Amino acid sequence: MHFNSRLPRKLKHSILLLGMIAIVSISILVVEATNVQAGTASSGEKTGDQSLRVAEMGGVLKGSLLMTIENNPNAAIPPPKKDPCLHCHITGENKGLWTPLARWSLFGSMGLIFVFGMFRTASVIINRTPWKPLTARTTEWVDERYNISEPLSKVLSKPVPKTALRWWYCLGGITAFLFVVLAITGILLAFYYKPTPEAAYASIQYIETQVRFGSGIRAIHHWAANGMVVMCIAHMLRVFIMGAYKPPRELNWMSGMLLLILTLVFGFTGYLLPWDQRAFWATTVGSEIAGGIPVIGNLALVFLRVGWDVSAETLSRFYAMHIIAMPIFTIAFMVAHFLMIRRQGIYRPL
Amino acid sequence: MSELTTHEHEEETIPFYPDHFKTELKVVIGLTILAVFIGVIGLIAPVGLGEPADPMNTPMHVKPEWYFLALYQVLKFVPKTLGVLIPIVGVTVLIFWPFIDPKQETTRKPTIIRFIVVAIAVIVAIAMTIWGEMS
Repeated sequence: MHFNSRLPRKLKHSILLLGMIAIVSISILVVEATNVQAGTASSGEKTGDQSLRVAEMGGVLKGSLLMTIENNPNAAIPPPKKDPCLHCHITGENKGLWTPLARWSLFGSMGLIFVFGMFRTASVIINRTPWKPLTARTTEWVDERYNISEPLSKVLSKPVPKTALRWWYCLGGITAFLFVVLAITGILLAFYYKPTPEAAYASIQYIETQVRFGSGIRAIHHWAANGMVVMCIAHMLRVFIMGAYKPPRELNWMSGMLLLILTLVFGFTGYLLPWDQRAFWATTVGSEIAGGIPVIGNLALVFLRVGWDVSAETLSRFYAMHIIAMPIFTIAFMVAHFLMIRRQGIYRPL
Repeated sequence: MSELTTHEHEEETIPFYPDHFKTELKVVIGLTILAVFIGVIGLIAPVGLGEPADPMNTPMHVKPEWYFLALYQVLKFVPKTLGVLIPIVGVTVLIFWPFIDPKQETTRKPTIIRFIVVAIAVIVAIAMTIWGEMS
């Protein structure tokens, strides 16, 4: 050990801590200082807007320590109409992937890992005991307060039969995962979508062309939706073939069928939202078919269309169904479905 | 729980955590990579839109989403009421199927029969969907 063992322990700890802080802050200062003139070191950001480069070059710390607006010849007060948020959040011509957010996240997390590593090394040296992993520390901290390690270990150690490890047992889980993917991408799309006939089409064009990653998010949403329908049907067929619907699993089968119907309703309501010719007329035809139901046909048609024709009211109703009503029902029945499986166990075939 | 759910025989099992959890995690990670891959493709070739909606102008070939195409094709040949009733009755029968066929099985034969029925139904449904897409 390099430490002078004749120094008192608290003094050693203070020296160590101050030393770490000194190393970290000196390295930050060095990096910032050498980066003053390297404004275009950031790749791909050719906005040509010099006022924004001040904010670009490493942020607040650099700006306050090394440069003021008066010292830097490149700086200028941003023109009043240009919103600096638009620089990286939504851009016109420049839709590069390497944004200040990405840079800060990447280098920031690398820096935090480095600082944590230094702290851990120091702790091991000072205390002369092996490092207790963060996972163990966290579970201990939670368990001291909530005392859940026993019920949790009972849940986690539940035996899974080896017959259930074949690929066709994954189909239900894949469906659930796709639902989560659709929820996340759906929320992101709902940030920009406008549910009126006048604005819907243009808002989706905006998402596809102007929003960063917008067309990617929309593509994931589109294909995950199709995939979820396929996986849901495949899962249903697997359960049907294996006879896993038989007593005592009747309610589980029925909740599953309901989830399939909800998935198809999700698809039907979501399909109208772009408000293009295909969406509009497919919805018209679909609600006509619903109108053909005996006895309640007219009621069904008017309920779906909110009137006799597909209109702005229809769009609002379908949008509310798609983002509020269907998710609530689907999550409720998914919870019921999972709880029943958990309670009864996987069906064991012959 | 009743005799329906007690399991007498020794079963080969693995614990949920960490073994099965890790297997499921691999599936989730694989699907996430697939989703990101689809997103990247979407950045290059977006899903796109058709013509803006025009309530006055019905296009030549109106079609529903692909999962309704099979039904749509059937509806072209069958009167409207019957065409609506077939899926409703079919789905209702399917929902209540555990009460129609509750018999506990002792052989593999019913499973094989169900597999053949499902295989035929799936092939017919795919054929009708493709036909619905073409016409």
